[in-house]
Amino acid sequence: MTKEKIPAQASDPGETAGPLLEVAGLCRTFGDHKAVDDVAFTLAAGGSLGIVGESGSGKTTTARMLVGLETPDAGSIRVAGHERARQPRNRAERLRRAREIQMVFQDPYLSLDPRITVRDSIGEVLRLHAPELGKTGRAERLAELLDQVGLGAREAGAVPRRLSGGQRQRVAIARALAASPKVLILDEAVAALDVSIQAQILDLLVRIRREEGIAYLFVSHDLAVVKHITDDVVVLRNGRIVEAGRTAEVLANPQHPYTRLLIDSVPSEDWDPDRIAESRRALAALEA
Amino acid sequence: MAETTTSTDMSKGKNKSTAASSPAAGPGGSAEPLLDIQGLTLRLPASAAARPILDGIGLHVGRGETVGLVGESGSGKSVACRSVLGLLPRTAETEGAVRVNGTDVLGLDKQGLRDMRRNKVAMVFQDPRASVNPMRRVGAFLTEGLRVRGLSKADALARAEQLLEEVGIRDPKGALRKFPHQFSGGMLQRVVIAAALTGDPELLLADEPTTALDVTTQAEVVGILQRLQARHGTGMLFVTHDLELAAAICDRIYVMYAGRIVESQPAADLFARPRHPYTAGLLASTPRLDPDAEPPKPIPGRPVSLAEAPTGCAFADRCAFAEDRCRAEAPPLVTQGAVSVACLRADEGILP
Repeated sequence: MTKEKIPAQASDPGETAGPLLEVAGLCRTFGDHKAVDDVAFTLAAGGSLGIVGESGSGKTTTARMLVGLETPDAGSIRVAGHERARQPRNRAERLRRAREIQMVFQDPYLSLDPRITVRDSIGEVLRLHAPELGKTGRAERLAELLDQVGLGAREAGAVPRRLSGGQRQRVAIARALAASPKVLILDEAVAALDVSIQAQILDLLVRIRREEGIAYLFVSHDLAVVKHITDDVVVLRNGRIVEAGRTAEVLANPQHPYTRLLIDSVPSEDWDPDRIAESRRALAALEA
Repeated sequence: MAETTTSTDMSKGKNKSTAASSPAAGPGGSAEPLLDIQGLTLRLPASAAARPILDGIGLHVGRGETVGLVGESGSGKSVACRSVLGLLPRTAETEGAVRVNGTDVLGLDKQGLRDMRRNKVAMVFQDPRASVNPMRRVGAFLTEGLRVRGLSKADALARAEQLLEEVGIRDPKGALRKFPHQFSGGMLQRVVIAAALTGDPELLLADEPTTALDVTTQAEVVGILQRLQARHGTGMLFVTHDLELAAAICDRIYVMYAGRIVESQPAADLFARPRHPYTAGLLASTPRLDPDAEPPKPIPGRPVSLAEAPTGCAFADRCAFAEDRCRAEAPPLVTQGAVSVACLRADEGILP
């Protein structure tokens, strides 16, 4: 598989080529707390998988292990056949891994260097990952990326604090795309945005996936957002997968009581806090 | 939202009885509303940060009523809420009135403010960890206010224990001995709510009290707030960015944009028939879980604060219905029955 564009139609699990991302038996323990416990899933090229859970479910730890910010205790993470559960051996491997998976975090204010302009911030990634383009080629690519995420020349010359939250998140997405990754991990990437802006970024993500055929791993606590951006979903609870399937089916017909509780907890017209509290207690009793 | 609810059954399933019949529902009636904000304008003067924040805010909350204040960042919803406790920057210039039980908070001296915060109005903030002293035990945090009111140490502890029990903390006695870090976010928010209740407040200000919590925890904390409110007849001003949540728990909702109130309606009506294009846009941009929901539809541009707002309607630049006059002339908030809306074109049937 080349790092060039992959056709987007592969959203149903590819039977011939096998999955792009394959995670199996992933475990991570902090002290005596099992943060991630035997997590396994696959993601097809151009697919979109949601990882849903509440705080402490292990969803962020899972994402961090995929990009190498955390080392798993056990299990394997393969992208297009390359194993990446262990530390990279050298610079070449680090760069290759970066071109496999990129990540966008919740708070772009924390993930962008406050002193560096948008242009230089994205330019740095292009210098690392596309040296063959040359200076003019990189400038063209930069303009293309900015255009793709809906930023103009004014924003390109600005430092992060001069930008709004939504614009900063666009920068973070452009920066991730600059490495031409096969998989983009979005860790609560729209959670901190105002609703009207959140919808803009969701639109942008849908369009980019269609155009680039890039696969998404969408980590979120927000079921309604997950419904609109993913094809498949896994539900995490205390580090374990409690339910997995097609997003539409899981949401319409949840099998696990925890998934049902999550769905019931989303405010709606017939929202009933007392009933939710009751099913939460019932679930806790079941697990005890 | 296929179900078109009439305004008469709007309060069904919200487990409160006082709200619907609240005499405070109409401003200027014989019974005075518990909270009555009129023409509140707020500006930060001089220095580099000189800017207007609020422009002529008006809202009221009756006894036992839950009122939502909804808006995006920069709308001024938190500042409006804090003004009720007099929690404003020292240099802030204010006009208008913020009356709690008839007393204007803005004119109170230090002693008056202290009395009001102690006995009448309590507030719950978004981040419980920022509201408690991490170095002191929960017992000390809860009894401090009670001791100031003259309770003996033993009585204060007994009352604190009772309050913790009310907010659903198991083993309240043990909890009093614990430090804040030994609680989860949801549990600590309950402690903070318990603390807010120590003075038996008539008015509870809740500024995004569940935003930092998980959804399942959010439901429980809201349930606790509603139960306590029903039991004590407390009025609640619930500030949130989450329209769905506001609709689920509030009797009436005010929508703010760029330091002004742009619309207010009973919650169910606001959802079924928004009158302001901004409200309609917010509803359309909120992702929904029901199977046949449309995908979220963004509003172009970004929310502005009052300081950045153009002349005329602050929303005009993002509005699909804006005409030339919208950019020239600021729309007044026009009230008809239970509906108030600040849009020049509201009566033209631009929204379905």
